[in-house]
Amino acid sequence: MNIVLDIRDLSVSLRRGRAGNVAILDDFNLTVKAGEMMALVGESGSGKTIAGLSIMRLLPKGAKLDGQILLGGRDLATLDEAAMRRVRGRDVGMVFQNPLAALNPSRTVASQIQESWMVHNGGSLRAARARALELLGEVGIPEPAKRLDDYPHQFSGGMRQRVMIAMSLACSPKLLIADEPTTGLDPLIARQIMALIARLRREHDMGVLFVTHDLSVVEEHADAIHVLYAGRSVEWGGAKGFFAHPRHPYSEALLGSVARVGQTRLQNIPGNLPEPESRPPGCRFAPRCGYAKPPCEAAYPPALSGEGTAAACLYPLPAGHRGQDTAMLQGKTKRNFAAQLEVQDLTVRYAGQSGWFGGAAKLPPSLSDVAFTLGRGECLGVVGESGSGKSTLGRAVLQMIPYEGHVLLDGEDFAGKRGAPRRLQRRRIQVVFQDPRESMNPRLSIGDVIAEPLRLKGGIGRAEERRQVAMLLGRVGLNPEMAVRMPGAVSGGQAQRIAIARALAAEPELIVLDEPTSSLDVSTQAMLLNLLKDLAVEAGLSYILISHDFAVVSYMADRIAVLNAWRIVEMNDTEKLIQAPQHSYTAALIGAAPQLHRTTR
Amino acid sequence: MSEHAIPTATSAGMPAAPLARWLGWIGQRSTLVAGLTITAVILFVGFIAPFLYPADPYAIHPAHALEGPSAAFPLGTDELGRDELALLLSGGFATLVVALPAAILAFVVGVAYGLAAGLAPAWLDRLMMRILDAVLALPSLIILIFFASLVTLDNTSLILLLGLISWPGLARLVRNEALAQRGRDFVLAAEQLGAGRMYIARVHLLRVMAPVLVVNGTFMVGDSVFALSSLSFLGLGVQPPQVSWGSLLESALDIIALDPWWLILPPGLLVFGSLLAASLTGQGLLQRWGGHR
Repeated sequence: MNIVLDIRDLSVSLRRGRAGNVAILDDFNLTVKAGEMMALVGESGSGKTIAGLSIMRLLPKGAKLDGQILLGGRDLATLDEAAMRRVRGRDVGMVFQNPLAALNPSRTVASQIQESWMVHNGGSLRAARARALELLGEVGIPEPAKRLDDYPHQFSGGMRQRVMIAMSLACSPKLLIADEPTTGLDPLIARQIMALIARLRREHDMGVLFVTHDLSVVEEHADAIHVLYAGRSVEWGGAKGFFAHPRHPYSEALLGSVARVGQTRLQNIPGNLPEPESRPPGCRFAPRCGYAKPPCEAAYPPALSGEGTAAACLYPLPAGHRGQDTAMLQGKTKRNFAAQLEVQDLTVRYAGQSGWFGGAAKLPPSLSDVAFTLGRGECLGVVGESGSGKSTLGRAVLQMIPYEGHVLLDGEDFAGKRGAPRRLQRRRIQVVFQDPRESMNPRLSIGDVIAEPLRLKGGIGRAEERRQVAMLLGRVGLNPEMAVRMPGAVSGGQAQRIAIARALAAEPELIVLDEPTSSLDVSTQAMLLNLLKDLAVEAGLSYILISHDFAVVSYMADRIAVLNAWRIVEMNDTEKLIQAPQHSYTAALIGAAPQLHRTTR
Repeated sequence: MSEHAIPTATSAGMPAAPLARWLGWIGQRSTLVAGLTITAVILFVGFIAPFLYPADPYAIHPAHALEGPSAAFPLGTDELGRDELALLLSGGFATLVVALPAAILAFVVGVAYGLAAGLAPAWLDRLMMRILDAVLALPSLIILIFFASLVTLDNTSLILLLGLISWPGLARLVRNEALAQRGRDFVLAAEQLGAGRMYIARVHLLRVMAPVLVVNGTFMVGDSVFALSSLSFLGLGVQPPQVSWGSLLESALDIIALDPWWLILPPGLLVFGSLLAASLTGQGLLQRWGGHR
């Protein structure tokens, strides 16, 4: 196979604040062959996105780039801007995470696909339109001739991503860079997009550089893999060998923190990713590595290649090594729960367009006839794709929206309550939202955010308040000194811990977790899920965990409710549901989720 | 050798660095600095300069009527022989002492009304917005002229009138912003904790809206000075014998054929400067806060 992209000794530094340029990516070497899917894997801050942008030369102003980026014999690193413009789109196509932001909402998809064709090839509009039609068919858009003149908002999320892919394929590029193209899509849709990209690379003999933070996404289709940590390559080589036997401790930990169906404990990676300014001189993972020895800290380890992959590690893991994460689908001990929350005939209809003085039209329901009972200390998982009504269910239980039917907490119906008794009862159910930054007022300090429940309850002095805030920060695994920081100065994972601390401060009995980890990195997600598990036991909390990720739900939940088209289509104990799904939709969801390959193989 | 090398290096390098940093600091905030400087000049003219230049604005010097700037009269005299600079300073105080409280009144009413509507149940919000539309539909200057022609207005009633006419724009803005912020997760979380409307408004909404409020507050001060000057120009604002920037412009207009530039330019510049100061300060604050929404 001939090499499409050959990156040699690439180093990139970016301007950060007053300090001047800071190295983001060091000594990066990578090759992509024709027809090969290369997965570039790393968590936020690893430099993977910068690597992708370097190839396109789309780095922010003030960036410095060293090394060679060879594409078909030409060095993109030294090309002038005019020549670079001819490379973008023609030789290298790019697909982004958010197709809605990458497509122009005011132009039809045909005109946008035609544009990228005509810019590079010229020719007639008729030819370009024919090409657009051909491409839409190729990426699997049903009845493409009818959809040519539709606008991006008329497509669903998955179809939009297909349109983006069609656009990037317009000029038959030799290399396709896909930057997290499936993140944010429902799992079933994400799998289809993955399969599409995998098929296209073969048919077009095109190299694909697939940038992602989630190893489980590329497990099925990647040919080769390259793992980055804190701006350095830690392990690279064939994908098969990698997944069967990761040799770098970081790769192993990253694999161990992916939630898989039937897993009982996710691996924690202690500590935080070092900031680019304060990366250690030796192995950058050493401070967090369970296998680290003093020589690791002296200098960056040389690459050791073994069968399958090469790893930059002095003490690569031997073949057949099993980390602490390998857990079997063992029977969770069936627990018995006393009833705590009862939901009866819950139906939610959002009000439609309202008239001048009210009189809102009623729309079809967003949630229909939902009923379940939640036990004290139980975790109920709610899975479904976007639009299935799962967030609506959470909001109704939280009494955030009007609903028909009944919600009873410890036998007391919310329906008959007004004023203070209602407020007090509502307070017993707390919430953690998906986007941790949105859930904090950006103008309040972390301490103020966590103290909010205490202040609203009243009756304690400043000193006692400070003591309790420090205690709460400790409970969620954060340093009490964090109280003086502002929300803008904390990471996503820390922000979500702070949101949990605030919920805990209200001393709730039930917490509704609405996609609590889906905006976080895989290893951060693992630590947060473990924290939530421990807190539940410690404080006797019940959870309603809402997620589109079946593996996450199955990891946490005692019982799972599957929501499809605003109804619960199936509800059962987690194990029974996994072993014998009754509904075809449930079976599809389980099939799309990451499995415990390594132990079952 | 080295003994000398070190002091020269520091004495050459050190003083330049703070100056460069200071200039850089100003350069990044040029709009804000310009706005605040003009604001300071206007406030100085209105509140401090009258004490530094104690000439009687109403003393008539018939022998020197309509003279250009001179040593005795730095900005010349008007057609009655009054000291133009003294008139300008007295008029500045008279203008600001009405315009500033009027702007504050409009600001407070606007924020309170907007927040109340934004947090009210949907039906009440709708009603409040229709009332606001009605107030907005009234041409404010015509209303002022109408009242001013009915009765002679003292400062208090001028403040009330100006203030109560210029709040709706801000109220609408605050209401829309409150509605947008009200659905954000941190507000929902506070409601889940049992927070009432007053708490939400005080702790959450006012804080996240602070940039919008401050910026629009500065605009309102400028608008208020301009509205009062327009009114005085029409002879309906601050009443004679007290002069204001607007009435000085008006009386200069009567004799514009004689080209008394010293009577037209200074009050005109001050009214223009007030608007500019407010606009620049607001813009500057907006730039500084742009990234913090």
